Amino acid sequence: MLQAHSFLWHSLWVAPNILLPVLAVFLWRSGTARQFAAFFAFAILSSVGQLAVYAADILPSVPAATFWRVEWGDLILEGVLKFALIGEIFALLFGSYASLARMGKTLIRGAGIVLVFAAALAAAYAPKNELFGIVSGANLLEQTTYLIECGILVFIFLFAAYFHISWPRQVFGIALGLSISACIHLATWALIDNGGLPHSTRVTLTFVNMATYQVCVLIWFYYLLVPGNVVTNPAVPLPETNLDVWNRELERLVRP
Amino acid sequence: MTIAIILVVAAALALIFILRVTLSRSLQISAGTGLAQIQPIDVEAFRNLVDPEEADYLRMRLSASQFRRVQRWRLRATAAYVQVAGRNALVLVRMGQAAATASDAPTAEAARQLVDNALLLRRNATIALLRIYIALAWPNSGLAATVIVRGYEQLSGSAMLLGRLQNPAAPVRISATW
Repeated sequence: MLQAHSFLWHSLWVAPNILLPVLAVFLWRSGTARQFAAFFAFAILSSVGQLAVYAADILPSVPAATFWRVEWGDLILEGVLKFALIGEIFALLFGSYASLARMGKTLIRGAGIVLVFAAALAAAYAPKNELFGIVSGANLLEQTTYLIECGILVFIFLFAAYFHISWPRQVFGIALGLSISACIHLATWALIDNGGLPHSTRVTLTFVNMATYQVCVLIWFYYLLVPGNVVTNPAVPLPETNLDVWNRELERLVRP
Repeated sequence: MTIAIILVVAAALALIFILRVTLSRSLQISAGTGLAQIQPIDVEAFRNLVDPEEADYLRMRLSASQFRRVQRWRLRATAAYVQVAGRNALVLVRMGQAAATASDAPTAEAARQLVDNALLLRRNATIALLRIYIALAWPNSGLAATVIVRGYEQLSGSAMLLGRLQNPAAPVRISATW
């Protein structure tokens, strides 16, 4: 069952790339496509790219070299879309807090530079396949992209947690799906690239990747289409001390 | 294989962290905000600790080694105050975020302002803590705590406005001393 070109393999590859454009249509019809423009673009373009790779894989007339060129093109496109999506998550989460946005941007740039170096280092130490450079290169590009993506997403989660920023439900859903996908894919691609694993294990890991992506698409469906519980906050009780006195004390503190 | 193990462990840790955040988020939604968590701060004591004149006085009166020792105690105490201020700011962030869902625009705007100022204070508290820890290594260097003090001032103004908007009749009560 866990074999390339099995029924499960076809289903796991095609289904999320059919579902994601359907989600994009729902977003368009609900009027939220503009709010999540990068996600909307990701949902459509990454699916088109994946379906193109799928077609190149199953069509007997497509030579192997062409398949890998299509795969490379799709990887580059997906990389650009994912980083645009991460930028959108950051803007939607921190954009309304002027005091944090600038600091966050500076820190995320720093984190990005560190991650690029770490990814380059990991790629440099990965075993190379001189005979099939186009294949190992694509695999390394996967590992590199997921390493940077995973690191930046963890940084965003950490930054938000440190400042107790409350996530808007839909933004959280997008970030959660993207993060789960990035973490699992990073682990599997690291094993595929560096583990020296037998072919059957590599195929199994590919199944893990496809199943994870399927789950992530369902997470996006849940968070973007199912409305959350409306939390009715009771009138917020203010802490029991006198603000006027506090303010006077602070005034004295600032201007003694 | 070593790189594979490092990356797999890193990915697993990242996934565990993100899932923990997901779980705590759902718990937060059901639990609401914990305003009782605000801890009082003795502003008078804090003011003494960050007063540069006080430090100058001690520097003149004490020998260099005594001054360094005393200044380290003062810095540790200042750090404790700043940590509490940072934690209190987080409670106010939650309070402001809860109030931001209010239907009337002025309250929502005041809540937004409170959140922004509380975040600024949290950020300043973090930076101040870093500076305090650096100053612990070099106690003779001056420690400017003005960012924290300014944060207090802005935060108190925002909290006062929010309190008045939420309950115009009652005296605004948030904290006398924190």
